[in-house]
Amino acid sequence: MERRNFLKSLAAAGMAASVTGPTGLLSNEAHAAGKINIGEVKNVKVDVLTETSWFDNDIMKKNMMDYGGAMTSQYAIPWDPKNAGGYSALITVTALDGKERKILLDSGWSNDWMDYVFQEKSNVASMLKKGEIEFMVLSHWHLDHYWGIESTLKHKPDITMYAPATFYPEDMAMLKEKAHLKVKDKAGQDVLICKNDTPHTGKLIPCNQEGEDKTGIYKLMPGVALRMFDVPILLRVRGENVLYFNVKDKGIVTVTGCCHPGLLSLFSFARSNFDQYKPYGCYGGLHISLFEQWDPKFDDIIKGVKSFNIAKVGCNHCTGWIFAEKASAAGVPIVKGTDKFKTYSRYSSVNKGNNVFLTNGDSIIF
Amino acid sequence: MTPGSEKNTSYCFVSGLITFVIIFSIVWALWRVFMDANGVLKFYTPMYGFSLVAVWLASILVISKVFEFYPFSAANMTGAAGIGRGLILTVLSLFLMLFITYGIFWNFIGKFGVAYFSPNSIVISGGSGAEPFIARENASTAIIYFVTAFIWWALAWDLGFGLWPWQGASQGVRGWSRFCSISILTVLTYAVLFHPHICQLFYPPQDKAGVAPWWAEYAGTGSAFFSLGLALCSLKWVVLSDLMWDGYPWRFLDRRGEGNFIRGVATLIGSVALGIISMVILLRIMNIFWMEPFEGGQYTDAPYFRYLHAGEISGFIVLAAFILKTYFNNFPNLSTLPLTALFRTIVSFIGGGVFYMFYYSTLSVWLLGKVPGIAQPDDTPLVWTMLFLSVVIVHAQFFGAWPVRRPTSGERLLRTG
Ligand SMILES: [Fe+2]
Ligand SMILES: [Fe+2]
Repeated sequence: MERRNFLKSLAAAGMAASVTGPTGLLSNEAHAAGKINIGEVKNVKVDVLTETSWFDNDIMKKNMMDYGGAMTSQYAIPWDPKNAGGYSALITVTALDGKERKILLDSGWSNDWMDYVFQEKSNVASMLKKGEIEFMVLSHWHLDHYWGIESTLKHKPDITMYAPATFYPEDMAMLKEKAHLKVKDKAGQDVLICKNDTPHTGKLIPCNQEGEDKTGIYKLMPGVALRMFDVPILLRVRGENVLYFNVKDKGIVTVTGCCHPGLLSLFSFARSNFDQYKPYGCYGGLHISLFEQWDPKFDDIIKGVKSFNIAKVGCNHCTGWIFAEKASAAGVPIVKGTDKFKTYSRYSSVNKGNNVFLTNGDSIIF
Repeated sequence: MTPGSEKNTSYCFVSGLITFVIIFSIVWALWRVFMDANGVLKFYTPMYGFSLVAVWLASILVISKVFEFYPFSAANMTGAAGIGRGLILTVLSLFLMLFITYGIFWNFIGKFGVAYFSPNSIVISGGSGAEPFIARENASTAIIYFVTAFIWWALAWDLGFGLWPWQGASQGVRGWSRFCSISILTVLTYAVLFHPHICQLFYPPQDKAGVAPWWAEYAGTGSAFFSLGLALCSLKWVVLSDLMWDGYPWRFLDRRGEGNFIRGVATLIGSVALGIISMVILLRIMNIFWMEPFEGGQYTDAPYFRYLHAGEISGFIVLAAFILKTYFNNFPNLSTLPLTALFRTIVSFIGGGVFYMFYYSTLSVWLLGKVPGIAQPDDTPLVWTMLFLSVVIVHAQFFGAWPVRRPTSGERLLRTG
């Protein structure tokens, strides 16, 4: 039987039934009129500052299980502080004229780990101090991307920050009000789960799905756009900012924190909305087999990534090591990492050593 | 042919409405205590709570539909005796829920047979991702699929075959015979439609135990949400024809006013066919709002979500139908059945739409503790719907929908509602 027979025949029936007028079934063509030109960049480089959000996957899952589950608020769980790492990436954009501009994506989780990463394993701390990093993009309000915010702000409290507009009061308390948030564990003890003693004083740009002037996106610089996907996410979080780069002669590259909305949904958005869309690559957590489990729907994604013709896949973090392995074996162009992660003081329990992740200390150029 | 059953009991709209509001509040309280991921016991993890609710609903149907309240008589009781009987049956259904989940699945089948039905056996088997949280989610997923197949068969069997072929037998013989028949069919259905999915939940996939999902090429997804959606779409017609159409059109095939083999087969085929048709229509409607899904898409772009969502919408309609029947006297009751059936169906669809809007509204974000938005992979309205449905059926079947209905002495319980 032909692939997607059922859905295709459905669509065909839809076309036939809708000859009298447009119904919205005609996906891509219907949007052709309003396509956006986001410009071009010469290239984009991503340095993996840290992708090990937590070091032991089983402890992470145990914390979730003991205090609820996937739908429980992240602020209600006394996470094991010793297990916390963080997610953060440094993005260097080379404009068409050759000028380099830097963006910080996310600020990790544990302050100890993030200070180590920013000060000892990279020169992000000094770049922040000298103002060499133009702005920060917060992908979403998840603990492993946001709770380490102090490690950024203590070097540059007035950094300009793009963040999803869908925050909760606790998120803002952390950002602006020197919050020290505690949760009671089962023994009744208060556990400090996050804190920030350096309030953000710079410009905060809350991003929503409408985008600038209802375009659906925010143009950050020529060839670079941000889109906020307003989706519900586990641990009571909502909305994720995604970065799009249009690399000259290559095509669209997405850079994500967790990619909760789904990688192919990002490319589908680009296909429907960007002028002269050409798929090229992706970097980031892809939120697939993060719990080291499998699901038939992950096989769908492997097939889908191939049919979307994505030529260069750099992945790590919540992508899931298993997914990266399976996808690589199935012929998805996964860019391999190096052994640099071994120079870090800690690494993740999921790392099987076969380098299917771009991990701490690696970088990728699109 | 005139609409039956509703005319023998006294009904008052105001008390129906008040009772409905009370039941809604009870469901809300149960949700906050047991399910709400930010409530008290937080069983909505999501799959663990989902499995408990699904097994409870199946247990209620075992008592009411399969065993016809055996060893109690099927006749309704009034006053204190009725309340006592209701309480005993409710406790029995809860006991069954615990026994089936922890006794049968976790500690018997899962321990000595099929490992994936028991979180503990999954953990013991070791390997990638086999720790308690995901193990419990996966075991719960298997249980949910199994009891969904059971629920479908229990309701479809009752509607199609009725008492056949044990019409002369005692209540106990009928109950056990039906239970065994339904169980065998459930095992077969589960093995073909759901087991392949569960075998893929592990790494490496358990491909000697279960084939790779055979529907993947056709459906655009390997997920058994395809089968689940289809089962629920079909179940919707079983419930609608039972509650809203007084068992027609299947009852045209009655012999001597009773169910039989032909009627049974026709009901099965008919409800599956209607299920497929309605699923196609629902998918078409979703395409209008979200455009075509594509293989590998996630959230509303995912084919598996579209199938599941067709099932979720069917769930809302089923809930609305039970509520219409139980609290609103199966409105309307016109002089001819076809017209009545049509209007009741329309009212159920509208009711389902209202529940849909409620579940995805800001109000439910506040009442049920959800994150706003649709298609969260860790959230399905089926859990809330099934909890609500279970409470309504307990009230209707075990407590005779008291005080909405005050049955005259000796009146037999309504067929379903
Ligand atoms: Fe993450
Ligand atoms: Fe995340």
